[in-house]
Amino acid sequence: MAVCPVYTTQSLNSTCSISTPSKTHFSSHHNHLVFYRTSKRTSKRGGSSSCVITCSAGDSQTVVIGLAADSGCGKSTFMRRLTSVFGGAAEPPKGGNPDSNTLISDMTTVICLDDYHSLDRTGRKEKGVTALDPRANDFDLMYEQVKAIKSGIAVDKPIYNHVTGLLDPPELIKPPKILVIEGLHPMFDERVRDLLDFSIYLDISNEVKFAWKIQRDMAERGHSLESIKASIEARKPDFDAFIDPQKQYADAVIEVLPTQLIPDDNEGKVLRVRLIMKEGVEHFSPVYLFDEGSTISWIPCGRKLTCSYPGIKFSYGPDTYFGHEVSVLEMDGQFDRLDELIYVESHLSNLSTKFYGEVTQQMLKHADFPGSNNGTGLFQTIVGLKIRDLYEQITASKTAAPLQATKA
Amino acid sequence: MATLRFNSLTGTLEKNPTSSFSSNPRLSWAYFQCNNKGERRASRMTVKAMGAAKYKGTQMREKKLTEMIEKKVTEAKQVCEGDETSDECKVAWDEVEEVSQAKADLRLRLEIEKKDPLESFCEENPETEECKIYED
Repeated sequence: MAVCPVYTTQSLNSTCSISTPSKTHFSSHHNHLVFYRTSKRTSKRGGSSSCVITCSAGDSQTVVIGLAADSGCGKSTFMRRLTSVFGGAAEPPKGGNPDSNTLISDMTTVICLDDYHSLDRTGRKEKGVTALDPRANDFDLMYEQVKAIKSGIAVDKPIYNHVTGLLDPPELIKPPKILVIEGLHPMFDERVRDLLDFSIYLDISNEVKFAWKIQRDMAERGHSLESIKASIEARKPDFDAFIDPQKQYADAVIEVLPTQLIPDDNEGKVLRVRLIMKEGVEHFSPVYLFDEGSTISWIPCGRKLTCSYPGIKFSYGPDTYFGHEVSVLEMDGQFDRLDELIYVESHLSNLSTKFYGEVTQQMLKHADFPGSNNGTGLFQTIVGLKIRDLYEQITASKTAAPLQATKA
Repeated sequence: MATLRFNSLTGTLEKNPTSSFSSNPRLSWAYFQCNNKGERRASRMTVKAMGAAKYKGTQMREKKLTEMIEKKVTEAKQVCEGDETSDECKVAWDEVEEVSQAKADLRLRLEIEKKDPLESFCEENPETEECKIYED
């Protein structure tokens, strides 16, 4: 559905006013002419005038966001935070395959790139390739379908069933306002990369990955420290060869490292998170602390704010990342109380919030999500707001609704 | 192949759920002990029942994933005994990762959405085996 903003123009001696905006469902390819009659007669000329509104919905495109993450698909907290920024909850398609990986909300559709596996679990075993290997994925299909959705054409996308390990019959994906493609290889294929309006890479360090997988798997029968460690190590060569290199292409990288505030901490609960933001990306202005482009080190805890151990430490500054100019905002530590969060928010700039306290409000809304008390939740929320800002900028520059007033 | 360096974990790993920000219901208490083989295994104190599972289909999926994790870990250990760097070994552990993540996703989904993933499917198809109400 395209919403057509309507502008009134004043021509000689007649005014054309539109009292209630009407939302019509436009299909993405058609230009629509809407004739709107004013109720009042114009005084001078004596005739009624009608206004012609032209909506060019033909070039309203879907905004496409890529997210590279090794943490499962479409159900991740990052996606939920992002869809929540736009309002509404993301849910799997109703009535379809219950093992679908897709999430749909009013504004966004999140598709899981595992759906583009060319080999199912048995196939991969036969060929001796992991899911990380490009040979297990159909990049041609990925490119074709993302391109189609971006230009407003619905597609029948395959479903990879993670329970059975099989490829299930396809599901229909209609072009949303924002399409998020999430998975292991959103930026691997150059053609797909060029379709992305914004891309994010979630870079989890080995120590944190290990700690998280322990938390994830230790309660499972069959798993032990050894099996968790072996699994990470066995996947590492393919991960380093195929997944990790994508981070050089990302517009934003969220790097998750062990804390530096607690010596020898290995539990992975207190985290140091770095938001690496590429400079010069269209429609994206990096977040900064105090003075843009300078280097800052900031501990908010002190006389005005009391924090409990281990506290919070921020830093900000310019840097280079794989040859690109970047700005890096870093948070080490944990939020314990609401007022710490609002205090921090009030000192950050360029957040793209619509009102003071929006970041805090979003974090509170999902206080039960993992990462809600540290930089992962904070930066995911901020990136969500940045994406909203990017979306609004892109759609503002694309909608053109010339209004001509004609005399009857 | 790069080795993963980590400090040996202490004998007790406790989860502290007293964050005033959130109570995370999906954490279960676990601690490490060395069994007679010298391997560290987790002992489960209590395992939180998975969220809002209501339909038989969801319970079946949970059960299947649990069994698959156990089975695939055993397979991977066997396959890797010969050559840890072989393709077969890599693929075997990748399968373990896949099913572990699938189980975790299901668990997380039940807790965050607080409703059974089969809810809308079962509205349309209440007579199927999967949509029988699950009684504990």
